[in-house]
Amino acid sequence: MNILDMINTLDINCSEDVDKTLQSIAEEEANIDARLDLVSKQQCQIEAKMSGIGRAMASLLTVDNDCNKLNMQIINTAQLAESVSAKVRRLDLARCRASECQQRVHDLIDLQLCSQGVVKAISEEDYEKGAGHVARFLAMDQQLLQRTADDVQGSITSVSDAVRTLEDATEKLRDLIAKRFDEAVKNDDLASVERFFKLFPLVGCHRIGVEKFSAYICLKLSAKAQKELRNTQDIAKAERRLQLAYADRLTAILENFARVVEVNQPIIEAFYGQESTSLIDMVTILQRECDTEVRNLLLEFNKNRQIQYRIKQVNESAQRSSTTGAGTTSIQSLGHYRKPSGGSMDKLNPKEIDAIIAEITVMHSRVELYYRFMRRRMQVNAETFVQEKEDQKKITDQYEKVIKNSDLSRQMQELLSTYLLFERYFMEESVLKAIGLDTFESGQQCSSIVDDVFFILRKSIRRSLTTQSINGTCAVINNVASCLDGDFMSALKAPLKSGYPSGYIDLAHAYNAIQTTLQQGKLHSSDADRGRANFLVQLNNADMSTEYIETLWQTMEQEIAGTFPNMSLVERQLLDSCLTELKTVRDTLKATVDFGMQQLRSSAIKPRLNPWVDQFLNYSHHLTEEELATYEAGETFVQFFIVQLDGLLNSFKTALSPRNYDALVSILATEVTTRLERAIKKTNFNRLGGLVLDQEVRALGAYLTGATSWSVRDKMTRLSQIATLLNLDKVSELAEYWNPENNSEMPSWRLTSNEVRTILTLRTDFRIEDIKRLQL
Amino acid sequence: MEDYKFLFKIVLVGNAGVGKTCLVRRFTQGLFPPGQGATIGVDFMIKTVEVEGEKIKLQIWDTAGQERFRSITQSYYRSAHALILVYDISCQPTFDCLPDWLREIQEYANSKVLKILVGNKTDRDDREIPTQIGEEFAKQHDMYFLETSAKEAENVERLFYEIAAELIGQARSKDGSAAAAAAAAAHRQSEGSGVGSSIGLASLSAKAAQSNCCGGGVSNGSSTSQGHAG
Repeated sequence: MNILDMINTLDINCSEDVDKTLQSIAEEEANIDARLDLVSKQQCQIEAKMSGIGRAMASLLTVDNDCNKLNMQIINTAQLAESVSAKVRRLDLARCRASECQQRVHDLIDLQLCSQGVVKAISEEDYEKGAGHVARFLAMDQQLLQRTADDVQGSITSVSDAVRTLEDATEKLRDLIAKRFDEAVKNDDLASVERFFKLFPLVGCHRIGVEKFSAYICLKLSAKAQKELRNTQDIAKAERRLQLAYADRLTAILENFARVVEVNQPIIEAFYGQESTSLIDMVTILQRECDTEVRNLLLEFNKNRQIQYRIKQVNESAQRSSTTGAGTTSIQSLGHYRKPSGGSMDKLNPKEIDAIIAEITVMHSRVELYYRFMRRRMQVNAETFVQEKEDQKKITDQYEKVIKNSDLSRQMQELLSTYLLFERYFMEESVLKAIGLDTFESGQQCSSIVDDVFFILRKSIRRSLTTQSINGTCAVINNVASCLDGDFMSALKAPLKSGYPSGYIDLAHAYNAIQTTLQQGKLHSSDADRGRANFLVQLNNADMSTEYIETLWQTMEQEIAGTFPNMSLVERQLLDSCLTELKTVRDTLKATVDFGMQQLRSSAIKPRLNPWVDQFLNYSHHLTEEELATYEAGETFVQFFIVQLDGLLNSFKTALSPRNYDALVSILATEVTTRLERAIKKTNFNRLGGLVLDQEVRALGAYLTGATSWSVRDKMTRLSQIATLLNLDKVSELAEYWNPENNSEMPSWRLTSNEVRTILTLRTDFRIEDIKRLQL
Repeated sequence: MEDYKFLFKIVLVGNAGVGKTCLVRRFTQGLFPPGQGATIGVDFMIKTVEVEGEKIKLQIWDTAGQERFRSITQSYYRSAHALILVYDISCQPTFDCLPDWLREIQEYANSKVLKILVGNKTDRDDREIPTQIGEEFAKQHDMYFLETSAKEAENVERLFYEIAAELIGQARSKDGSAAAAAAAAAHRQSEGSGVGSSIGLASLSAKAAQSNCCGGGVSNGSSTSQGHAG
């Protein structure tokens, strides 16, 4: 604090203040004295430190000098190191050149040796040695060799002479090896063939080697194939496999090719390995021979199995059925439906081609197997000899192209086409036969047609799987769908369309009639009886078929997944989409069942039901206590009604499949409730009459609920609500029901407020004004 | 389950090399791959389009034109909602084969299937079949008609979109039950009230008259269902 400031700020007029100031000045003085003391005390310390610093300064100078020296040394060292490394680099270069030079010298020595050796080897017919020399020569860098020759001025002639000698020798050896190879082939000398085959890559003729060797193999295989083809029938007879003679022959051919590839792949890879396309070159050439052999076999197959003739028969019968079938197939009774065997004598029996179809599927699957085997071989080959993924793919792609363009593929496509044609014919004809031979055994709900048809269809799809062709399988599934949708559906639908024959005879009677006639093996009951039973059987058949279709597509889905484990996404979708067609057919079948049930409703239920319900009108619902007692003692309406209903339902219960029966009960319940509602609306009630009605509705509901597993309670709701209304004590009581506190007790009202009012007016004891006053 | 209201199957047929695969590729992938190899059996592509605010899944079946695949391709006709018959406007033989194709369609396909005649390769200079000839042929056989170029992407989108619109119209005009059948795959759990996959041609005649691209005035207006409608 500045003392002057302090003094200036003072008011000196007052002695007190002066004292105060003096005092504070004194204090300040004391403070300053104390601080001065402290500072003076520190003086010696500071001085000691100062002297220390002075000393240190001296040593710092030396440090600085040392540092500079060190720096100089480091720079020196770095320079030295750099010059050393430059020397090392130069040394390395020199070493490289030296080794290159050495290599050249080696080459030159070898060149000399080779040029001398090769001539000798050729003259001594030691081709391995000669080829070895040539291989060594070819391994040299030809340009470098030329430069060396230029460099070595003095001996230029000798080097270029050696080169020329070797070049000539290479040409000569190539010719010689080729010639010797051809001779060996001519003499059928397998050892020599293999010997020279291995020499080709040494003289740089990979391709020629592969081509010549493949040609040789083809020659051998072709001879073998021709011999075996002639004996096909005899061999098959000996092995008791006449049915599969050509499939076996094809298998043998393909096995031969596969074996040749398998045996020669290691040789090719060992001797031709550096040329990555060698194996595919060989396979391509072999494939051509394979195409020819398979073509010959198929020619023989077509001739022997009369394929063309049978195709013609199938096509003709298809045309016939499409011209005659279009107009007349609509309604024909069972057993006379479009006869499977037609009229003409030369119609092909599906059984006849059954074996051929099987043989074709085996043939087709063998070819697929063969391709699969070869693909794997090529894959392995590509993976071992080519590093780049892209180049590997190039090889496998090249093989795919070989497959795609091969005549074998084309022939297999044609074979598959034949298969599909036959399979379709077999399936359609067999299904028609099954429809024609449809028999019904008493005690069964369905006739033989369902089991038979689905057995055939499953057989066809299964067989298509054995072709190993996804396209073929899809086509067969499509054909199955169209077969179900066509002939099978019309067979089921025909009797349903013509309706359920109505008549006086009770159904139970009709049912018994058909049973007895079947038992006696004669049909002497009336057409209506037969028609009725037939109608029900077909209805059950349709119902059962929906279930069978589901099973069919589920099992087939599994089997397809098992047969083609490596399907691509597109193939999966393709198959799924075809299988979906079966579901569409199932939906159509369900619609057919519904249609049949409606027929049943209009001709079997309605006409019987209506008079029974109308009986209701004959019972008065305007009762006194006495009348009520007598009424209850006698046969009530509902007792009579339930007995009738029971009779009707029982006659159907055994005849219909459970699902159809449930549907029938459901239809019946709907009919009963609507009809009864109408009858109720034509009747007047008093209090006791309402009570009776309520009891009756309850009894009816209990009966119908008990008749089926299907819930019919819902259908009864409206009716029981009407009964509740008519059973009220007073109009005002309705409020308790209309808006109940506890909603769970009753289902929501199915009646509109207007309907409620109308129904309440049926009670003669309710006053119109009360009803009108109701708050609804 | 995917989100679409209708599922339609469209099958392309016609001689080998008329450009069926290219049409499909152009439409589904926007590509025109030159040097396309021959199709083997059938190929299968899916494209979902939106027409009139509805999502529609088109299943397009691209069939092989070569004779030896006939028995495979025939099996797909029955379930088709629309058949596109393709010829090459620069190649008379492909046009001359049309009656054979129609015979085949007659034999295997649903009688009410929607048929479209397509003259492809309009980008070519060496046209051999004038537009009018194609148009007349289509008219004679109750077919839609359109000329396209898969290479130049001309009329390709339009072809498929018009088919989709037409099929929707048909499905709608046949009330809900037919729609349910068309979309059966979409609602597999549905009670199965489907009435088969037949679709009437009710709106075709009106449609054909309006549509400037389609020369086919169609007399087959009656769309009686197959007779089992419950």
